[in-house]
Amino acid sequence: MNASRRFGRSFEAIARIFEFTSEFFARAGTDPRLLPPVDLVVEELFTNMVKYGAAADPDAEVRIDMASVPGGVEVSLTDSGVEPFDVTQAPDADTSLPIEGRRPGGLGLHLIRRLVDSWGYEYSKERRESRITFRKTLAAEPARENKSATGGA
Amino acid sequence: MLAIDHGAQGVVVITGRLDASQCPTAQAFLDKVEGTVTLDCSGLEYISSAGLGVLLKTQKRLLAASGKLRLVGVNRHLQDIFQYSGFDQIFEIEPGR
Repeated sequence: MNASRRFGRSFEAIARIFEFTSEFFARAGTDPRLLPPVDLVVEELFTNMVKYGAAADPDAEVRIDMASVPGGVEVSLTDSGVEPFDVTQAPDADTSLPIEGRRPGGLGLHLIRRLVDSWGYEYSKERRESRITFRKTLAAEPARENKSATGGA
Repeated sequence: MLAIDHGAQGVVVITGRLDASQCPTAQAFLDKVEGTVTLDCSGLEYISSAGLGVLLKTQKRLLAASGKLRLVGVNRHLQDIFQYSGFDQIFEIEPGR
């Protein structure tokens, strides 16, 4: 199953994005345990586009494509009218710092890296279009008893 | 949507989804709390990095005044997010059911 929808680059669109992902999960029969992490990754990527893309072309919309894959879902966010910026190469937050040194910035990308099976970035120079695609499946969900080995790095 | 309000025995109750669009509401409320505050998260379904930023800012402010923010009733998804973020090292977290 596939679905696609466009959203204005604004924080107000987040509620409608969550409606879209929730509807897709219900119609596609995707395991609901994957919905919170998928929503989180979509929100982090979308809000980055709102923050950093609006200056380039405030009227352009972000297209979100969802597709069923074995055991989960693949999601793409496509932003047009923007300069290239490979978010997958952006620096990670240091989550080992004491509270005095902690800053919220970078935490979203840190979470994405821990939640997705894989993610990738493409840029079309002709269309000035950035596309980020990620995949989330149950197969890559760490067993709960092993969480201490995967988190907090 | 998000709701945040005072509950029984001084506990602050937060319910719904703390996403980027709801952060101004949560921050405005938490900017007014003082001392050691228990935040009942048993009805909090979802949090993103923007929501984590609200909790971090509040914790910094309260700790500077010898208070703190305690998180109780935290569901499994939120526990994972707090752990991945290192928040389990800077907040007292009590899991929910």
